[in-house]
Amino acid sequence: MRRRTLATAAAAGLVLALGACSSGGGDSAGADGGGDGPITLEYWAWGTAQDGMVEAWNAAHPDVQVEKTDAGGSTDSSAKLLTATRAENAPDVAVVQYDTLPAMIVGGVAADIGEHTADVEGEFNPGVWSQVEFDGAVYGVPQDVGPQAMVYNQARFAELGIPVPTTWAEFATVAEQVKQKDPASTLATFAPAEFGGFAAMAQQNGAQWWSVDGDAWTVSIDDEPSRQVAQYWQDLVDRDVIDAEPLLTPEWNAKLAAGKVLSWPSALWANGVINGVVPEQAGQWALAPIPAWQAGQSAVSFQGGSAVVVTTSSEHPEEAAEFAKWINTSKEGSAAQIEAGQYPASLVGQELTLSSAPPVQSPQQADYWQVAQRIASSTVPEVSWGPNVNVANSAFQDAFNAAVTDGTPFTEALATVQEAVVADMEKSGFTVSAG
Amino acid sequence: MSTTAPATATAGAPALRRRTRVPLAPYLFLTPGLVLFALFLVVPIGYAVWLSLRGLRISGGGPFGRREEVFVGFENYAAALTSADFLSGFGRLAVYGAIAVPLTLGLALLFALLLDATTTAAKRFSRTAIFIPYAVPGVIASLLWGFLYLPTTSPVSHVTEALGWGSVPFLSGAALFGSVANIAIWGGVGFNMIIIYTSLRGIPSEVQEAARIDGASETQVALRIKVPLVAPALVLTGLFSLIGTLQVYGEPTTLRPMTTSITQTWVPLMTIYRDAFTRDDLPLAAAASVLLALGTLVVSVVLLRLAQRRAFGDAA
Repeated sequence: MRRRTLATAAAAGLVLALGACSSGGGDSAGADGGGDGPITLEYWAWGTAQDGMVEAWNAAHPDVQVEKTDAGGSTDSSAKLLTATRAENAPDVAVVQYDTLPAMIVGGVAADIGEHTADVEGEFNPGVWSQVEFDGAVYGVPQDVGPQAMVYNQARFAELGIPVPTTWAEFATVAEQVKQKDPASTLATFAPAEFGGFAAMAQQNGAQWWSVDGDAWTVSIDDEPSRQVAQYWQDLVDRDVIDAEPLLTPEWNAKLAAGKVLSWPSALWANGVINGVVPEQAGQWALAPIPAWQAGQSAVSFQGGSAVVVTTSSEHPEEAAEFAKWINTSKEGSAAQIEAGQYPASLVGQELTLSSAPPVQSPQQADYWQVAQRIASSTVPEVSWGPNVNVANSAFQDAFNAAVTDGTPFTEALATVQEAVVADMEKSGFTVSAG
Repeated sequence: MSTTAPATATAGAPALRRRTRVPLAPYLFLTPGLVLFALFLVVPIGYAVWLSLRGLRISGGGPFGRREEVFVGFENYAAALTSADFLSGFGRLAVYGAIAVPLTLGLALLFALLLDATTTAAKRFSRTAIFIPYAVPGVIASLLWGFLYLPTTSPVSHVTEALGWGSVPFLSGAALFGSVANIAIWGGVGFNMIIIYTSLRGIPSEVQEAARIDGASETQVALRIKVPLVAPALVLTGLFSLIGTLQVYGEPTTLRPMTTSITQTWVPLMTIYRDAFTRDDLPLAAAASVLLALGTLVVSVVLLRLAQRRAFGDAA
């Protein structure tokens, strides 16, 4: 899912999707007359895995047929869901990225489907399930997860004789070694616009950016763990040990193709993104756990991943919930997902990966899926997102870009984001206390 | 309505046609235009104004209360007018416009005059060559120039690096304004040139001949005869360029992912887009749009008033 967001960004915002008017009435009113014909559900989703999952469902459920519409990646799709809900023509079911889910709840898009989901909760790790459960209500069924991981150019690592770092302290040392041995290369890129990546690293360090206490929200984007992460990258960037620039630009892609970017600390979906940019380097890239802040710590956070929600506008919430559960917990659904390279959120899906061949970019890494499963089974217990992650994301991009351009402290940028997020929540009428 | 029509005017269609043939006809012919005008201009503008007075606020309390539309008066206007992001965008627009407008018009006038000069060869080819960039969509042009600006893919930086001067920072610092304006100039010169050139072709040849007989050089003919006579075309292209400047969006938006120097609020329209579609604050975006539209209208009217006196004389 994350992959699509990045790819969209990489396409330089070509399609602005301004005309967000969906014409397809989500109520599918014509189909349910009399209760005998088949019901048609409308489903908004993006990514290559969806067609296979929908086909599998349609083949197994002749009475409830699903029509998929690609309404754009996470950002576009969420914006359209909000407007479509206000216009009362939202689809029945939709894919929503975890960090946008709270915004969909307060926007009145996602319906509480808790009464239908009791039987599938056990199919997921608690850390994953916590992404869709708020205040005792369940707003979706997890579809894919993006636990943080690091992909690295194994061939270049061997050539330079450097080890794969397991802690961020080691990562800094290895980064220095890379600059000494080959000044034109960089161990990794600090991308100032990567909100999701930074948030995940901060969460890995113990940050909790949004939390709920009674009726009040606490926002602590510039808390101590986050400031430590900011200072860590600041130090590497200031010493020119790590390059700071946007990802997936023609510039970055050219460096990647020239073998000058040695690793990308991101998440499990990175393999597919790298494959999209440098397919000729298949067999050179491998997967490893993301470095830890303390030696021995194995918990990682999520960067990307999404759930399937049933909308408040749906006239068939029960069937819609059934669809959301089935595609994400059945073997058929998971198989379609894995085939397209998506890492499933469900335990049955993750189990299924173990008998699959390594993905195209890493055919040489026989234990690819075992590494992936180890990473996915040790995620941080709970990550909660706030109702205006969109505001935080956009404020983060501008603040960190400015910090990199003007050479101002990253911690100041964090404070700017905090301020923007609190101001927006107060304007909307939430009770907020700064953490 | 005909004044002679009795009170039964609403009776039958044949009667109606006969009695009101003169006054009704113009309205009938105007109806399609008026309906379209109302549907696609008046209603959307009215909706935008109405939306700009609304706001999305939490109702029901609690951490997961629902956002609902409520009336907030002029709150959005106050927010837009005090927003540092929105206002600083106009500052950047001013710098951008100061580069783009004079250069576009200057080059367009120069090329038009050269094409119009009797001694110029290969006119048709030159005219087409200069006009072609206008046919390239702005987003494609921006992507294309983006490749030419980025250090690793830029041929210019390849040369400067080979000479040991390092790469050219096209997309950072003050050079950014020139780089963005350059895309607009590249795309806009051809269009403006054609307008001015067409106007030049309309100048009676007697006037030019008279000047030449009086001993005026080709340059003098251009500056003293042609330029004053195409002043209305210059005003028109100037107005287009100014409005175009206020609406800059595509170029910086396309270049944004390639550099850390372009924010999401680099120019006012980008701020409006962010508020509407990234922050889900349509009312604020509507208020800012109304302000931008009013500003554009005022600037255009003032410019036309000033220019009319000079270019068209008092008769206009």
